[in-house]
Amino acid sequence: MQLRTRIAVTFLLLLTTVLAVALTVVSHTNRQNAAHALTEQLQSGDKEFHAVLDLNVRLLRNAARVMADDAGFRAAIADRDTETLVSVLENAGTRIDAPMVVLTALDGRVIAASGSRAAIGQTFADRSLYTRRLDAEGDIEPNDTVVVEHGRIYQLVAVVINNPLPVAWVVMGFEIDQKTAKALKDITGLGVTFAIKSGESWVDVVSTEPGTQRPRSAEETRRIGLPEVASPTVVVTLSKSFADAMLPFDRLTRYLYWIAGIALAVSAAAAFILARNITRPLQNITAAVDQIRAGVYDAPVIVQRRDELGLLAEGIQVMQSAVQSRDQSIRRLAYEDTLTGLMNRAAFNTRLEEALRPGGASVAVAVINLHRFRRINEHLGYAVGDAVLKTIAARLTDGACPTGQVARLAADQFAAFMPLQPSDSLQSWGATLLVRLSDPIVVASQPIDITATLGLARSPADATSADELLRCADLALERARREKRGLASYEPAMKPVERDQLSLLGELRQAVDKDELRLFFQPKVELTTGRIAGAEVLLRWQHPTRGLLGPGAFIPFAEQTGFIRQITRWTLNQSLACSAEWLTAGHPLPLSVNVTVDDINDENFHLRVANALTQHRLPPDLLTLEVTESGFIDDPARAIAMLDALAQLGLHLSIDDFGTGYSSLSHLARMPVHEVKIDRSFILGLESDAEFAAVVRSAIDMGHSLGLQVVAEGIENETIARRLTDMHCDVAQGYLYAKPMPRAEFERWLDNRPRVPVPVTARALTNDTPGVAAKLAAL
Amino acid sequence: MTARRRPSRCAACLGPLAVLVLGAGGAVAATVTVTLNVAAASPGPPQDAVVVLDPIGVAAPPPPRDLVTTIDQVNKQFVPQVSIVRAGTGVSFPNSDQIKHDVYSHYMPKVFELKLYAGRPTVPVVFDQPGLETLGCNVHDKMHAFLGIVESPYFAKIEHLGRTGSVAINAPAGRYSVHVWHPNLSSRVSPQPLEIKTDTAALSFDLDLSGIPDPKAAWPWP
Repeated sequence: MQLRTRIAVTFLLLLTTVLAVALTVVSHTNRQNAAHALTEQLQSGDKEFHAVLDLNVRLLRNAARVMADDAGFRAAIADRDTETLVSVLENAGTRIDAPMVVLTALDGRVIAASGSRAAIGQTFADRSLYTRRLDAEGDIEPNDTVVVEHGRIYQLVAVVINNPLPVAWVVMGFEIDQKTAKALKDITGLGVTFAIKSGESWVDVVSTEPGTQRPRSAEETRRIGLPEVASPTVVVTLSKSFADAMLPFDRLTRYLYWIAGIALAVSAAAAFILARNITRPLQNITAAVDQIRAGVYDAPVIVQRRDELGLLAEGIQVMQSAVQSRDQSIRRLAYEDTLTGLMNRAAFNTRLEEALRPGGASVAVAVINLHRFRRINEHLGYAVGDAVLKTIAARLTDGACPTGQVARLAADQFAAFMPLQPSDSLQSWGATLLVRLSDPIVVASQPIDITATLGLARSPADATSADELLRCADLALERARREKRGLASYEPAMKPVERDQLSLLGELRQAVDKDELRLFFQPKVELTTGRIAGAEVLLRWQHPTRGLLGPGAFIPFAEQTGFIRQITRWTLNQSLACSAEWLTAGHPLPLSVNVTVDDINDENFHLRVANALTQHRLPPDLLTLEVTESGFIDDPARAIAMLDALAQLGLHLSIDDFGTGYSSLSHLARMPVHEVKIDRSFILGLESDAEFAAVVRSAIDMGHSLGLQVVAEGIENETIARRLTDMHCDVAQGYLYAKPMPRAEFERWLDNRPRVPVPVTARALTNDTPGVAAKLAAL
Repeated sequence: MTARRRPSRCAACLGPLAVLVLGAGGAVAATVTVTLNVAAASPGPPQDAVVVLDPIGVAAPPPPRDLVTTIDQVNKQFVPQVSIVRAGTGVSFPNSDQIKHDVYSHYMPKVFELKLYAGRPTVPVVFDQPGLETLGCNVHDKMHAFLGIVESPYFAKIEHLGRTGSVAINAPAGRYSVHVWHPNLSSRVSPQPLEIKTDTAALSFDLDLSGIPDPKAAWPWP
């Protein structure tokens, strides 16, 4: 129910209740009053009736007296002749309007009668009529009574005839008729009904009230016996109907109802107006609040009042602007990175989702991670860190991506997306970004060496939702970082196995124990001659149910759980065993084995390697360990120490994913490496991007200037191979030559292909090799 | 009944009557004293009582032809209000008032009417039948008088009988029936027998005047 209706209804209900109670009380009181008034009126009517009756009797007595004292009458009744007497009585009756005149002796015995059937010699009517009582003057008082004769009621008055002494009674009977009753009614204001006894019941003879409307209840009537003795012959009923008694009160009640009705109508109007006065501003305020909820903050709250509602409206107006400014700042905080002014993750997600319209263009997403950014903050201060971040943000937004498509996801993590034309390559877009970010950053005249890693993914091939796409890019980033590459594109294999991780770990253990891991070999080709310079050992897992899995499916997990060491040990052992067999067979081939950060951080790693070399009696220079640049991030000094130790064993070291990491030139110069491997992301961009070409060229040149062999991986076509040749790259690796193959296949592939001769100086490590024995003894 | 009395006039009429009675008596005559004691008085003023000695066994001597008396009308009252006469007495009804009166009696023993008149009527009304005559005036209802008419010549009146009163009556020796009448009596008083042998005799009556007066009923004779 609306507030307005509720107020009005409540108000009216209340008023109605009060009025109803008041009217009920008044009605009830009126009834009581009417009943009381009725009783009183009947009582006073009783008295009045008696008084009137007395008066009437007195008048009749006087009339009778006058008649009795009339000389002629007196003389006439002295006559003993009955006929004469009757005529005299008749005459007298006519004179005073008494239909019945009876002359009796002093003892009441009838002498003569007119208008009555009184028998001569019998006592007429009641004996009490003839009681002689003297008045103050010694005269005999007249008597009276009421009799019924032939169904008519007579008021009898008996007067003594003095002739001159009392000689007889003359009884005059005046009929009580309608006229009498009417007169009585006029005086008392009450209905008058005379009834006579007929057997056991009373029969109404004369009445002022119509029989059908005659009130009969005890409350409405009062009975008077006539004469007033124990057994009257006539009963008079005074009556007044309750309805008549209620008349004045009814009028009062009617007025009250009018007043109540008018009061209700006026109140209803007032309540409605009042309620509207309250609710209309409330409606305005509600409308304004709705607007605010909908995010519209400029709707004015119009309530021109000085009361509480006005204050409320004012408050809401103030609140509206407060909410507006807060909303804006919250929006900023929610969707914007305050430092760089870029979107945050939430905003980016939204924007990306918008770009991922079904049927739209393919969208490329890059997640960009800054290496060693924490160190910048720690060593150079947050101001510098902030400046770096701003610079990165500016670079990302300036050229590579249009505004609004770049976000800062975390402290050192950015993201960008861009719609791709069908001809565009995801890799080359990523490489473009990478190059843009690789320019040195100068803050306060101080160059800051910072590198970025990119994870790339594209829709709809990799995922169709923003979340999924970002996750794919994250996985790719993870891969890139792990593999110490500048960038990596998402591959379905990167998706973590959706299994219980413990069971995966168990499976991995089994893989080692049950020999489910396989070594694959990818040849390294000398660019100028096309001869086989060696091979990189790559790991595959022949999973019992899932088939052949690439390293992406289990290496990240192994790294997380620390199981990678066993895997590395196994790989190393198998590789060395294989290499030793080839050596024994007379056609040795240098093998490159990947080691991870974990291995580098193992302070006994070099001893394990030495032990393995010794066990397999393999000359160390047939083994190259590939280390990613990221291996040096946490503790470069320690990593370099381990590299030194390994180099001392005589084996070769290669920097994997060269160009994507953080290895500064100074570090590189100090590292005892023999080879750098330019990251495949640069090679892939070589074809399309001149800048990439410059980077690759300078990387090659730099490697050469440091006296290192330069290897390029990810060669997929002849064009790239040619360009790399032109750039004097030494060795190439890629699908152009061969994909990774199992040992048997690889051996077949090797057959009859020219190889780069292995130097004859190669010697296997023995326990006699200086320094080695002591170190081995320490194990 | 507030009329003033004129006792001198009443004494004057009784005096000659007593002399007449005594003159008519035999050799032995006695004085009979009759005393009336009112046991219960009537509420009104005292009225005159009448005592009559009715001789038994002997005829009353014939009345003289010229017996007359007067009942005057003064100040709208008969005076006296009670009179007692022998049968055959002529009663004159002079009107001493300045207004006219209409004296009547509608009942026996004598029905008559003196139509409105003033002054003294020329002829007295002769009452020759015994009985109690009630006299009224047709134009003045309050006026009435009693006229007792008896055969016996031995009677007397006690004026204004209060609580008690007595009267002496002279009568010759012989047997009598003594009757008493008073206007306020409601019934007849039993007569008392009297035999006069000596020169004095005394009788007394107890009267009850408290009832409703019925003078006609109380009249000793039918």
